[in-house]
Amino acid sequence: MKRLLIFLLIFISAIAADAKVRVVTTLTDLADLTRQIGGDRVQVDFIVRGDQNPHFVEIKPSYMLKLKSADIFLMIGMELEMWAPQIVDGSRNTKLNVVDLSKNMQKLEVPSRVDASQGDVHRFGNPHYWLDPRNARALMEEIIAAMIKVSPNDEPYFRANAEAYLKRLAAKITEWEATMKPFVGSKIITFHKSWSYFSNWLGLIIADQVEPKPGIPPSPSHTAELIKLARQGNIKAIIVEPFYDLGAAEQIARSTSANVIRLTTSVGGVDAAPDYIAMMDYNISTLAATLR
Amino acid sequence: MQTYSKFLWMGLLLLLRLTGVGLTQTTANPDISVIPRFLIETNDGNGKFSRPDYSFEELEVVIQSYLNPYSKADVILTLPGPDLEEGKLGVEELFASVVRGLPLGLNLRFGKYRVDYGKINLVHPHAWPFVTQPLSQERFLGEEGLNDLGVSASVLLPTGNLYTKLTVDLLRGAAIGEAAGIEDTTGGNPSYANSARLTSFFTLSDYSDLEVGLSGCTGLHDPYHHDRFYYANLDFKYKYRPSSYTSLVLQGEYLFNKRQARQDREFNSFLDADGNPERRSIRSSGFYLYADYQFKKIYSLGARYDWSQSPYSQDDKARAFAVFLGYYPVEETPGLRLHYQNTKPVGVASINLIALQALFSLGPHKAHPF
Repeated sequence: MKRLLIFLLIFISAIAADAKVRVVTTLTDLADLTRQIGGDRVQVDFIVRGDQNPHFVEIKPSYMLKLKSADIFLMIGMELEMWAPQIVDGSRNTKLNVVDLSKNMQKLEVPSRVDASQGDVHRFGNPHYWLDPRNARALMEEIIAAMIKVSPNDEPYFRANAEAYLKRLAAKITEWEATMKPFVGSKIITFHKSWSYFSNWLGLIIADQVEPKPGIPPSPSHTAELIKLARQGNIKAIIVEPFYDLGAAEQIARSTSANVIRLTTSVGGVDAAPDYIAMMDYNISTLAATLR
Repeated sequence: MQTYSKFLWMGLLLLLRLTGVGLTQTTANPDISVIPRFLIETNDGNGKFSRPDYSFEELEVVIQSYLNPYSKADVILTLPGPDLEEGKLGVEELFASVVRGLPLGLNLRFGKYRVDYGKINLVHPHAWPFVTQPLSQERFLGEEGLNDLGVSASVLLPTGNLYTKLTVDLLRGAAIGEAAGIEDTTGGNPSYANSARLTSFFTLSDYSDLEVGLSGCTGLHDPYHHDRFYYANLDFKYKYRPSSYTSLVLQGEYLFNKRQARQDREFNSFLDADGNPERRSIRSSGFYLYADYQFKKIYSLGARYDWSQSPYSQDDKARAFAVFLGYYPVEETPGLRLHYQNTKPVGVASINLIALQALFSLGPHKAHPF
């Protein structure tokens, strides 16, 4: 009997020791950062693939199932994931900690007034802040804070992993800034307003978007204006995310000296971007080669 | 009947307590959306195509919000066409739902609502890819679908990585009578009905999903004679979405009806060989199947086939074939739907319908789930 009890105690403590923090993120970028922090003590899943538009996600029961057994749900916030509350409700998970990671972010393009005549404008500002890698530290701090609520004993482990990663990232940021230094002040056209933080970081100027207003499909008259703008402004790059149609951007490129490039806003958006650092590597090297 | 009534009242009291109705007040305004639909249509029901009529089809006013951290409320008011100015705004749905905080992940709902029965019953007409209701739905569930006063409970079943939901409803039963064209369905007393649905969702790949559902409903369709009906419904929806610009939806439902009845749809009594009234046992069914292909993001093209018998007769049947084209220039709305349908009821000439529907949505109406 005593042996059986000892065996049971060992078995239970082994299960407890193996218990991982279960995290679901909206974006693959957040999933990668969470993996960097949690290592083998975290189980991470995500909702939106890297080649999907995070603004428009169909509410699938399978997403609810992912959240049903999760401890933490990490979101970019600022109404990027307008679909998320329906998934959270559908998960029926009372213990789920829903974390909006935008709380302490320096926000760009916060509108003074919002209505549908402006397109799909986010009333709390442009939400694509994760594309400035300098925001990774603040993001990781929020993620650690959420994870140590679930697994407080792992705090030193999480912090050590995060610091090691941020050190690696800092070196890469220096390298990326050096690569892009010759192009400070260069004008670019983007399909959607996804690249404001990225451009702000690298000193690029976004001349205009292919979309006449955020979320509104390209129109012939706006495309004609962009052709004029690209010619006058000597614009060399038109950035299009993997989930947008190339048609209008290619039409502009055919009439100007600009090149259309596919940059990805999320990990997994292209094959060359299996993690956050690789994604930024790919985006920077592709853009630099185009602007050169 | 008394047991049903007792359960209904106990359920309502429990839900009022859980939803905090009357106890808490939200500080934020609810989401309010206004969704009107307009229609230009013509048909050759009288031998030749009529002059196209431009009419107001329906207005939906959708009000939704959380009541507190545990519960939400939905109000859907409708103004049916064609009388836009003098028409009367009615309550299509009015319900509160407890979405978290209950044991075993139980969700509860009470009020008047579209019942989680079959697949298309939960979808409001503005979100259909076509203009007309499938024949089997119209004939067996009525124009408004299975929409009734009731109490609903649902749980997610422990089926591992497979999403499986079980929903059970206790309904007042009025909707079934209305579907059969009976004005007073109660005969002075409520004629309760029960409905249940089991649904599973399969992720087939990163780009394709399949949902399969089995529903059942039973109640008194003729409370004067205590005649009961039984419905069984099998549905599926498959969606292939390789990009945000392209998708293919295949959806279908088969409904089987079994009932005891003493009269047909027109309230003519069934008579035996000697001309005496008789009570008949009727088995009948209906189905629809449609495909909708979205291309170039703003266009969709689809086709639907319907076949349906009547709740009161196997011989009273009809079939319909429809093709429809959708145009959504910006997002889901505003939208235009061009619909052609050929309907052939048994024993009469077929009718051709051509309709152009226009709709828009003003406000933050949430995306419909899969």
